[in-house]
Amino acid sequence: MDTISTNVTPVGAPSRLTARVTALPTPDKALLKLLFGAALLALVLGLAGGFVTALARARALSLFPDDAYRILTLHGVSVFFYWLYLIQAALLLVLAAAENGRGLALRPLAWLGAALMLAGFGFSEWVSTTGTPLLYDGSPELAADDPRSVGFFALGYLLLSGGLVASAASGIATVLQPRLRGEADAFTSIGFALFAWAGFLVVSAIAATNAFLPGVLWALGAGPFPADHGTEWHILFHNLHYLPLMATVLVWYVLTEHLTGVTSIHGARMSKIVFAAYLVFVPPTSLYHMFLEPNLSEGVRVVGSLLSLFVSVPTLAAFAIIVSSLEASARARGATGLFGWMRGLPWDNPAMANMGWAVVNMMVGITFAFVLIQEKLAPMLSDTFFVPGYFHFFAVGVLTQTFLAALMVILPALGGGTLWRPTVLRRMPVLVTVGLLVFGAAGIAAGFMGVPRRVFDVSYGGMAPAAWPVLMALVGVGATVFAVAISVTVYGVVRSLLSRCAPVAVEAPVVDWRAGARGVGAAPAWTGPASVAALVAAMYVFTIVAFQLIQSLPIIAIGGGHGH
Amino acid sequence: MSERHFTTRRGFVAALGFGAVSLYGAWAAYGAAPLPFGGHKEAATPEPDAHGGHSGHGTAEAPPEAGGHGAHGGSAGMAPEEFRFEHDYFVERYAQPDGSVNPHGSEDTHSHAAGGHDHSHEPGGRPVDVYLMAQKFAYSPDVLRLKVGQAYRFRMMADDITHGASIQLGSASRIIRLRPNTVTEQTITFTKPGEYLVYCTVYCGQAHDAMQGRIVVG
Repeated sequence: MDTISTNVTPVGAPSRLTARVTALPTPDKALLKLLFGAALLALVLGLAGGFVTALARARALSLFPDDAYRILTLHGVSVFFYWLYLIQAALLLVLAAAENGRGLALRPLAWLGAALMLAGFGFSEWVSTTGTPLLYDGSPELAADDPRSVGFFALGYLLLSGGLVASAASGIATVLQPRLRGEADAFTSIGFALFAWAGFLVVSAIAATNAFLPGVLWALGAGPFPADHGTEWHILFHNLHYLPLMATVLVWYVLTEHLTGVTSIHGARMSKIVFAAYLVFVPPTSLYHMFLEPNLSEGVRVVGSLLSLFVSVPTLAAFAIIVSSLEASARARGATGLFGWMRGLPWDNPAMANMGWAVVNMMVGITFAFVLIQEKLAPMLSDTFFVPGYFHFFAVGVLTQTFLAALMVILPALGGGTLWRPTVLRRMPVLVTVGLLVFGAAGIAAGFMGVPRRVFDVSYGGMAPAAWPVLMALVGVGATVFAVAISVTVYGVVRSLLSRCAPVAVEAPVVDWRAGARGVGAAPAWTGPASVAALVAAMYVFTIVAFQLIQSLPIIAIGGGHGH
Repeated sequence: MSERHFTTRRGFVAALGFGAVSLYGAWAAYGAAPLPFGGHKEAATPEPDAHGGHSGHGTAEAPPEAGGHGAHGGSAGMAPEEFRFEHDYFVERYAQPDGSVNPHGSEDTHSHAAGGHDHSHEPGGRPVDVYLMAQKFAYSPDVLRLKVGQAYRFRMMADDITHGASIQLGSASRIIRLRPNTVTEQTITFTKPGEYLVYCTVYCGQAHDAMQGRIVVG
């Protein structure tokens, strides 16, 4: 039995994070509750839309085509834009306010940002459910005869963008304020990450404006038809994917300290470099999304292919920092066994369970992401169900579970209430992961076989392979499992948001690994390297499988649009 | 302070961040890596001579140079208007009584070279031109009859909005994305007879699910 000398934080003793959140000024708390509530509403709407979509694809529900695609639009808009951006804005502000220690700076701007984002939310949801289905990318060519739908849809995203800029400005001012007041002479690693994240949110908002302003102008008769929407969308789309990942890593940093007391053993400077690396590695790697474009030049293709290998560098580096810091701290307190140190983590805390399983989902997601980004495999996998098959590991398994973990810590501190049934909530991440594994395995297999990603009836009048509908039925089963588990978690979080009960301190245990008897880092820490080795091995296996499959096809195709 | 084990040192931890870059090795092994190592596709692809043959399984990728038509870029330099003209001519000339289109349809009775292309079935013979137009919510032609082992130069274009023209090949598909008014060109040789589903993989509107065609290879 591995042993570890673990100090359990005294009952009722708040962490630095929760103490500072509890002490926030009332107007800040009201704003944050509004944003967290709106984000959760967006998640609920997106989850419902996704669940219905999965059931319809599984042929468990029969929908008229327009209704089906409206629901798919609602799903994508709610989750990818409003859940992920509203929760990012809310987390940025609450963490910045906690970092500051005195609440938000430029508070009116933060309120303006919230108002704009909520207005955008309303517009987008309304037009998604009533207008021409445009899917979440709002491609104007789908509604060239319906400028009203294009205009309102784009207006929703523009309002969201304006709100993000205002929120980010408040966040930046908030983390800068201690330095301007002379209370600090340097950023902490978290402060720096918040600063970079806020900057990235502004970049994302600019990219969204670039993509959607032409649609509004066209709808108003003040501009030409936005024929280049596809290119502008690709730029936004890449940001849309990786910005929440940066936020996730930052939340892992914060939660790790909250749950274990451990901060990076590698120093603040290295953490800052890793967070800054998102700005370096993410934007240039966006080219791989365009491998299927028929008019992509060979030079761009080669550069895009090369750069795509680096897209995971900051995320894996941050993962390695956190894991090595935890393991080294645990071993300094006497933990033994290759992986035995992990038993000492506070798994009974739902936030810990969410974060731990999020890491597992990240490894699965990265594995298949690297199969998809291979330029020569794009003609087999792009535009197929492989894409949703793998990205739900990220969107649900990593991002959503991590952000919900943050809410489990922050909301009780914010509202003065208590976390709803931690014993139930801590079991949900396993269920979410099981559901995602069923969904992902069936979806990825379907993608390998060519099942298109945005089709509800995949039978094609009997011409499609018989396995296609079966795989879609399994996708529906997996979606049902993780949708139920996420719904339970969201219910618990909402109950926590609305809770007025006095805090019950024993419900969410944490540990204190801050100081060990032995020198931190003296013992080997193999979990990080073993995890990365396993990840690379899995990448090799599935990449080889994909190459073997594409080479076995009864076709020889040369060039052209590359079809990839 | 005690000496740190190498697994807990900054350099080692930072290097782990680059772990996924090692996948380059797998890419190189399949001739699919970008420069500078292992980026030559010839390593894993058949020689140009094999394209017209019946060697069974070949790679789905081959050097664009082998096709002799500057494959990358998709657009073959053909203007949309020219494509429409050639497409209409192709469909009209090779239409069969059952509604399908067979570029070899008149070979049995005539010896000719349509559109300047030799329709011979010899390995290494020049590809036969085939035109495929995608539009809401159908392909034109919707049924193509082709020959196994014969190379075809598929010229494809979306006529209205973005579509896919993906070919289901049994265990997997060949996904092709078509942008409006951009002529995409691929030289394709089917190495097995069969009836292949062609379907749209880019959402294009209400009847997207029903957008399909067939390629009958005999």
